[in-house]
Amino acid sequence: MKIDHSLPLEYSTEENRLKVLGFWIFLGAEIALFSTLFAVYFTLANRYGNGPSAKEIFELKPVLIETFLLLTSSFTIGLGIHAMRLGLKKAMMTFFMITLVLGLGFLGVEITEFVTYVHEGATMQTSAFLSSLFTLLGTHGAHVTFGLLWGTAILLQVRKHGFTPETANKSFIFSLYWHFLDVVWIFIFSFVYLKGLM
Amino acid sequence: MKQLFPLPHVMGFVFSLILSLVALAVVYFDLSYTAGMTILLITAIVQASLQLLLFMHIGENSDRSTLYTNIAYALFVGVVTILGTLFTMVWGYN
Amino acid sequence: MKWDEFFVTGEPMIYASMVAIAVVSLAIPIGLTYFKKWGYLWNEWLTTVDHKRIGVMYILSALLMLFRGGVDALLMRAQTARPENGLLDAQHYNEIFTTHGVVMILFMAMPFVIGLMNVVIPLQIGARDVAFPRLNAISFWLFFAGAMLFNISFVIGGSPDAGWTAYFPLASPEFSPTVGNNYYSLALQISGIGTLMTGINFIVTILKMRAPGMKLMKMPMFTWSVLITNVIIVFAFPVLTVALALMMFDRQFGTQFFAMQNGGMDMLWANLFWIWGHPEVYIVILPAFGIYSEIISTFARKNLYGYKSMVISMVAISMLSFVVWAHHFYTMGHGVMVNSVFSITTMAIAVPTGVKIFNWLLTLRKGKIEFTTPMLYSLAFIPIFTIGGVTGVMLAMASADYQYHNTMFLVAHFHYVLIPGTVFAVIAGFYYWFPKVFGFRLNERLGKLSFWVIVVSFNVTFFPLFILGLNGMTRRMYTYSASTGFGPLNLISAIGAVGLAIGFIILVYNIYWSVRYSPRDTTGDPWNARTLEWSTHSPVPVYNFAKVPTVDSLDAFWFSKKNKTPLAEGAYEPIHMPSNSGMPFIMGIAFFFAGFFLVFSWWLPAIIAGLVILGTMAFRTFERDHGYHISVEEIERTEEALRGERK
Repeated sequence: MKIDHSLPLEYSTEENRLKVLGFWIFLGAEIALFSTLFAVYFTLANRYGNGPSAKEIFELKPVLIETFLLLTSSFTIGLGIHAMRLGLKKAMMTFFMITLVLGLGFLGVEITEFVTYVHEGATMQTSAFLSSLFTLLGTHGAHVTFGLLWGTAILLQVRKHGFTPETANKSFIFSLYWHFLDVVWIFIFSFVYLKGLM
Repeated sequence: MKQLFPLPHVMGFVFSLILSLVALAVVYFDLSYTAGMTILLITAIVQASLQLLLFMHIGENSDRSTLYTNIAYALFVGVVTILGTLFTMVWGYN
Repeated sequence: MKWDEFFVTGEPMIYASMVAIAVVSLAIPIGLTYFKKWGYLWNEWLTTVDHKRIGVMYILSALLMLFRGGVDALLMRAQTARPENGLLDAQHYNEIFTTHGVVMILFMAMPFVIGLMNVVIPLQIGARDVAFPRLNAISFWLFFAGAMLFNISFVIGGSPDAGWTAYFPLASPEFSPTVGNNYYSLALQISGIGTLMTGINFIVTILKMRAPGMKLMKMPMFTWSVLITNVIIVFAFPVLTVALALMMFDRQFGTQFFAMQNGGMDMLWANLFWIWGHPEVYIVILPAFGIYSEIISTFARKNLYGYKSMVISMVAISMLSFVVWAHHFYTMGHGVMVNSVFSITTMAIAVPTGVKIFNWLLTLRKGKIEFTTPMLYSLAFIPIFTIGGVTGVMLAMASADYQYHNTMFLVAHFHYVLIPGTVFAVIAGFYYWFPKVFGFRLNERLGKLSFWVIVVSFNVTFFPLFILGLNGMTRRMYTYSASTGFGPLNLISAIGAVGLAIGFIILVYNIYWSVRYSPRDTTGDPWNARTLEWSTHSPVPVYNFAKVPTVDSLDAFWFSKKNKTPLAEGAYEPIHMPSNSGMPFIMGIAFFFAGFFLVFSWWLPAIIAGLVILGTMAFRTFERDHGYHISVEEIERTEEALRGERK
């Protein structure tokens, strides 16, 4: 394996560069996926039948907490990659762990929010609006859940092998994924919650 | 300790928090639909670009022109899907 | 659940199929054990990550599915051959036209095209494999799992019966209460994930792994068409993923997306389906354009006319393909504005397509044309496809479409587009690249015979449908009364269908004959072709190229032959290759079972299968596998053997 030392570790081999590019293209596909979910949500947002409307169920407080948690986690994983480039294993692992904990917190708040909705009689089966809401949020939440598993697996590998072209590449790609989830959340925050409460 | 918190990252984080707060204005002030949507669009797009350029390091990649094309194409398809669906299913539907 | 709900009962044809399936699934393991081929199968095929072998498996599965879909087609034509025919009942007919459509588009056309991509693209760009060989194997096994899941539906649980478009409310649990449409949503979902990964894989391969000197504008046209196709795949398939997931939620979790009450919108399904569905048409057509470009330029012995305009028109098609989808449902209730906009964008597609037709014609002009079998298909394609295209423009006019829509005219139109556009192309590509993979050509005499039978029968089968459609015969009707006067033309069409079947049987016989008797090709370049894949040996060694070729122009191999300059220089170097893995195969099996359990809403087994899938992913991330190296001595040995210098 040829290692090019002039580049950051995550780009240092040809295989790594292929993987980073491949993942970016995958993110392009994810943009198309979430756009479709948004298209469905926007089409059905005002079609709540006999169920509650967006204004009746949305609450600002949990949403603000979720936003803050996810924005911060995106910041800390950015710091983690920065630390990785400085070769600071302990700092990198700490930042990654903080990221995962914040992600877990986000999931916790989101699950509580879902439970509240269901208690208020707003389930996935109630109306087309709620079906699309739960699907959009749930897809994002499932991505976060998968990210937690994936991030943990990567942390274990960094702990065992340190920074190698392979682990650095995986960590970097994971950070791309995590930032992307934050971008999706920004749009959910703005065009689902804030627009719904407007 | 200081080297762990590079200034652009910290600034970016603070800026995205501020943008989220600005977006909150649409809830607290009685704005028209157009004004509200404009604010949301601007704050969301700026925040997304911030993530892309600053945190995801899109510009440092040697394939950056491919990456920008990729994102542009994805956005083209995404916008067409969203606006096209609204056009056929809501605005233009009898 | 009772057993008679689990197995489909009451049809002699189904019982016969059940027996056949049981016999085959017993015969395969017995045969493998008897001939001691388990190890060969596992080591050489099931665990392979070699793009050429994966390509061969794709093409084999596609041929298999071609015959499955073909039998469906024959049954439909037999049923409608005369008025008031009782061969099939309405339900059975519904299931058959549904599976015919799904199988032919998703499990025949797409895998055939992807198979050819797999075999050809790395060779054509001078690479040793695709960017992610392991992912490539996963793509194949997910496609295969999806295809098998879809195919068992007709004996277990019942096939989907709401058309290949599965429109709501017809596909809702209320009107399609069997598990048939669950099969539809899950089988397509699984193979769709595989296709999406193929898309990513080939984009990266083509962008990053080309031979030194091969600039984008020096790529062969097939490579260009595949690049653009994969771009469409990557951005269109996520839409299908979402649509299928929503269908599954509606059918199995009681959500209201496409429901008739509680705010649901049945037409939203059609909208999402065609946002994917129209680009899908171009996913199967664009590679075909690439195949024809290669073949026409090879056998006209000329470089491709209008290379740049070909590329530009394909890029234009890829963008336009995303903005025309509503022409599939002009008559379903949106306003004049919507119909007008989509009418215009649809007609606009005819422009870049027309450009390509003229480019092919001008490539032929003054060429020294050699009428080989692949060339015959390419030449037949041009006029027949033009008929399909022109009737497409007729359908594109929204107001006129109120007359044509949902009639046999439409059926005739899309068969006139897809059969010359895709089926002829993949057969032509099959004949053209067959010697590269297996080291001998298919017999030309049998090839030409089957070509003439297929082309004539194709027109006999589908041309009458144009007239039937204009006379008012709607599609998907399982029978009609004699007084409609539809009988004679339907009978002609049925005769044509038998002819098509004969043509394809001759094709298969040709494969058998050629395997046994065809003279072996030792040159690696039997057609005197132009692109890099012909510069290496046939069959291709595992590492593709002993030395990586350097390219300085379009059709570099042609010029290297003409100017007698070698494509690659220097000494051999050790070659790094990816190692085989059983993980993709196991993942495919896990996906198959997860899908099967979900079809029947057996949640616990489905969750266990899901955990197995996660387990394979975890295994992969913790695995440390850096592949292996082929030593210089071994390369020398292989090269000498392939040149025939050592026996």
